[in-house]
Amino acid sequence: MAKMGMVFDLKACIGCNACVVACKQENSLPDGVFFTRTLSHEHGTYPNVKRVYIPTICNQCEDAPCEKVCPSGATYTRADGIVMVDKDKCIGCSSCAVACPYDMRTMLDKELFTKGLFGTGELTPFEQQGYGRYSPGTAVKCDFCSERVDAGLQPACVATCPTNARIFGDIDDPNSAPSVLIRERNGRQPLPEKNTRPKVWYVD
Amino acid sequence: MSKPQANQNSLKPGKWIRSTCKMCLHSCSTRVHVTDDGVINKIEGDPTNPSNAGKLCPKGNAGIMRHYDPQRFKQPLRRTNPEKGPGIDPKWEPISWEEAFAITAREIKKSLDRDPRLILPSLEDFQKMHIWFWPLAIGNHNFYQSGGTMCGGAYHPLNGYIHSAFGAVNDAKYCNYWISNGAGDGFSSHLHAAAQSHWVAKARIERGMKVVTVEPRMSIAAAKAEEWIPIRPASDRHFAMSLSHVLVYEGLCDYAFLRKDTNAPYLVGPDQLFVRDADGQIYVWDTADNRAKPWNDPTLKNENLALEGEYEVNGVKCRPAFQVYKDTLKEAAPEIIEKITTVPAATVRRIAREFAREARIGDTITLADGRTVPFRPAAYNYYRGAQGRKTGMMTNQAFQLVNMLIGNIDHPGGRCGVTITDGSIDNNHCLPGECGQMLGTPHQLGHMPPFSWPPNEYHLAGFFPVGVNGPHLNMLSYLEPEKYGSTYKPDVLVNCHSNPVWAIQGPRDKWLQFLREMRFIVCVDVIPTEMTDFADIILPASDYLETWNGVMIEPPYTEGICFRQPITPPIHDTKSEEEIFFELSERLGVLDQYNEVINMILGFEQKPHLKLEPGKKYSDRDIAERVGLLWNDKPIEWYMEHGHSSTERRLDKWYRPWEGMRLLFYIEDLVVQRETLRKQFEEAKVPFRDEWPFDDYQPLPTTVLDPIHLEPAEYNLYAITFKDIQMNFGESLSNPWIKDITYRDPVHTGLLLNRGTAQKLGFTDGDIVLVESPYGKLYGRLTTTEAMHHETLGVSNSLSRTKSENRSVLMAGGHYNDLLPYDMRNTDGATGQPETSCRVKLTKLDDWPDFLKHGQTVYDLVDSIRNAKGKGGTH
Repeated sequence: MAKMGMVFDLKACIGCNACVVACKQENSLPDGVFFTRTLSHEHGTYPNVKRVYIPTICNQCEDAPCEKVCPSGATYTRADGIVMVDKDKCIGCSSCAVACPYDMRTMLDKELFTKGLFGTGELTPFEQQGYGRYSPGTAVKCDFCSERVDAGLQPACVATCPTNARIFGDIDDPNSAPSVLIRERNGRQPLPEKNTRPKVWYVD
Repeated sequence: MSKPQANQNSLKPGKWIRSTCKMCLHSCSTRVHVTDDGVINKIEGDPTNPSNAGKLCPKGNAGIMRHYDPQRFKQPLRRTNPEKGPGIDPKWEPISWEEAFAITAREIKKSLDRDPRLILPSLEDFQKMHIWFWPLAIGNHNFYQSGGTMCGGAYHPLNGYIHSAFGAVNDAKYCNYWISNGAGDGFSSHLHAAAQSHWVAKARIERGMKVVTVEPRMSIAAAKAEEWIPIRPASDRHFAMSLSHVLVYEGLCDYAFLRKDTNAPYLVGPDQLFVRDADGQIYVWDTADNRAKPWNDPTLKNENLALEGEYEVNGVKCRPAFQVYKDTLKEAAPEIIEKITTVPAATVRRIAREFAREARIGDTITLADGRTVPFRPAAYNYYRGAQGRKTGMMTNQAFQLVNMLIGNIDHPGGRCGVTITDGSIDNNHCLPGECGQMLGTPHQLGHMPPFSWPPNEYHLAGFFPVGVNGPHLNMLSYLEPEKYGSTYKPDVLVNCHSNPVWAIQGPRDKWLQFLREMRFIVCVDVIPTEMTDFADIILPASDYLETWNGVMIEPPYTEGICFRQPITPPIHDTKSEEEIFFELSERLGVLDQYNEVINMILGFEQKPHLKLEPGKKYSDRDIAERVGLLWNDKPIEWYMEHGHSSTERRLDKWYRPWEGMRLLFYIEDLVVQRETLRKQFEEAKVPFRDEWPFDDYQPLPTTVLDPIHLEPAEYNLYAITFKDIQMNFGESLSNPWIKDITYRDPVHTGLLLNRGTAQKLGFTDGDIVLVESPYGKLYGRLTTTEAMHHETLGVSNSLSRTKSENRSVLMAGGHYNDLLPYDMRNTDGATGQPETSCRVKLTKLDDWPDFLKHGQTVYDLVDSIRNAKGKGGTH
């Protein structure tokens, strides 16, 4: 069975956030909620200074702390390795949000679904057609656009990325694009000391 | 593929429709998903367009939030509150379209019948040039939109001289060494941002293209570059000339190219004009026969043309144009220039040598069309940050001369001209000019009106024969009508998708007063802006997801029409721009004239069966259909299915489209234009003729200092402004998705000051400061960083909004543009381009001034984001 993973090419990423907005579109995310982010870090001293743009996302850990602590069984791992949350089982206890060492879980405030993206107290038709997938009070996170993956598509963030800084595929297949990159450009995982075995990798 | 239970928007029951983005002025191809219930719920890039290849930038991804913005104008509106001002409720009253058209036509006509010049147009739809040029139908050349000088005021005319094209691009398909000077191309802005950043990233990743970035702020381009070279603002021309100094004095130029493909060998006399024979043919010096010959003498061989030396022809002392520049460049040795730019001389010398080496002078490449052409995979890219100068024309030329010296103009890997549109597939944009030269075409946005005194145009356009419209110059006529010869004052403003009071530089209080004094203002727009606060009538426009269009707008690497079609019918009682302007034209009695203007502007004249007929009004669909037919004879049904006719640019129009003509190394036309204008000023006894900046017209750039460097010393810092990709071109800060990303990025949430400089001046991170220039002020909060030039304050465009009726827009502490001058001392005499940097001083404040204390500023939002949980910030 395939094991889906993602590689972030830090050399390619221009921090444009097209991925972040594509994700908001695809997944009808409420205001201020993100399944993926692009961070910006400066280092060095003027004039020898560098800035790196760092995409972040749920790392779909093989030893997922969020899954371990989930008391209701809402968090589970699909056969292809994607870590899912079943909103109907989630009891909103926030254990997962606390357990995730990557700060990648968001608890959905009720208020988000009433104030709307424009903060007017009215929902746009876009929000009305999209918010039904969420249960206020439960935990959410990226699931690699699992429905798109099931349909043979790339996750929305990957498809739109202008610089191909997000490379998605089966990391159990040594010939897949992400596997080749991990191997050839010395991929590394986020916070390896947490022993979560992320399926997300970074290459410089 | 869709299933009823889908949660993800792209998989819900519905259909995909191919169309074109308009979240900036460019035209990436899209596929838009609309549900069976008629809700637009996903916009993606269309992978079949070889330009953007399925990619979209963050703005393109955010179009749905414009479409469903609850503040959209939903029906025609009439103001009932006579008091006008920023954020003052106009107390709109809904009215019918018939009433709105009747009032608008009546009020415009009152002025039109007296004097067509009383109308001040501000029409800014860059994807609809036929709307932009509507004023020609009423015989009016006034101009108030910001799309002139605030963009590429000097860039476009100079590209017209160098490439006979509107834009230009480094050829990422082959380039291996990319200098980026004050530009965002390929990283954060300008030409088709998603497309260009895609191709540039491929070059960086797959070919290891080296990027060297020269700019006061470490931009995205600099972050991705191998090297960031901080430079003092407004000294980029000097930097480019110091590079050229090294290329010329170390013999690193493409001499074969300069001799064969440019006018660099043409002999220049002491009057800056070429030396000609009795038949008007320009002389060159034949080193084989050691005498001057006309350029077209059949005994001449290119390799024998002198580029250097001093000669005498018919008693006139003269030098080849190349030698003229070489002599000028004596003053531009890196060791001299480093005092102006702060860039170490050794760095300049190293970059120049690397650049020349990577240019592979002498190498050729055989193209798919069988031609073997020079291969020059190194190029110098620049844009607004570097070219927005008082010396704009010569600044742009200085950059292009770096390219020309290594022979990369319109060659694979080099600097290639990009047309705004070709209209028809077989049109070549390059035409032969005089004496074997390519015709310079500075009027890429239409010819400027002829000189007149007193001036016919309120913004003095007749004084800029090769420039673009400078909207800030309206302020000169407004404040000093006697001096500038104004014989009238516009009293009706026609505004369409334009926000000049936000975008133009100069004193805000005076601009607001200028607007208040208008007798009537009509705004055609989608959402409230700083401008619509002043409107008397709102004519609500449908948005780009509800309308038709066809456009080719400076796509790098490709050509063809990007087609727009409605994804849904208009969701409010709105109309397309075409419906509005054809209707107004009919009511004003200028419909026939407007149809003729469109036939000219869109090129329908080229295929007479496409011409608009007198007496008929047309829809946006009609125009889009004709644009498609003009390009490739394909019917609208073909475009509805395919969404675009974009293909790789035809090689004969891309590389050396000027084959057989000589490029303008030396722009003699600028001397001719200067002297013609000077004569016109003299003959008309224009009272300020002695202070007019004629010296800005030069056939080759000089090392003259821009006046910004001569401001009083108390203004001890420079200030610059910048945008990144999420704010590229038009408005997007009212869009919740764009706000959600912008105000989480540290470069967009505070005034950027070099940390060491802050320490030296006694400031710390988070200080609230007053920023004052000699011309204006703003308030802000400092963010200290290592990534700013040590003399420069960086002010993001995200901090530029002022109070308005648009509740989604957050004001910051004033507007950077208020800090800028608007006078002729700081305006390029040749192009109308004003200086876009300024000098400032900072004063630390104990607290925000009262008007910024109401909890609704950018800074308040930034604080609330910082204090929120679940930020996904650990990695």
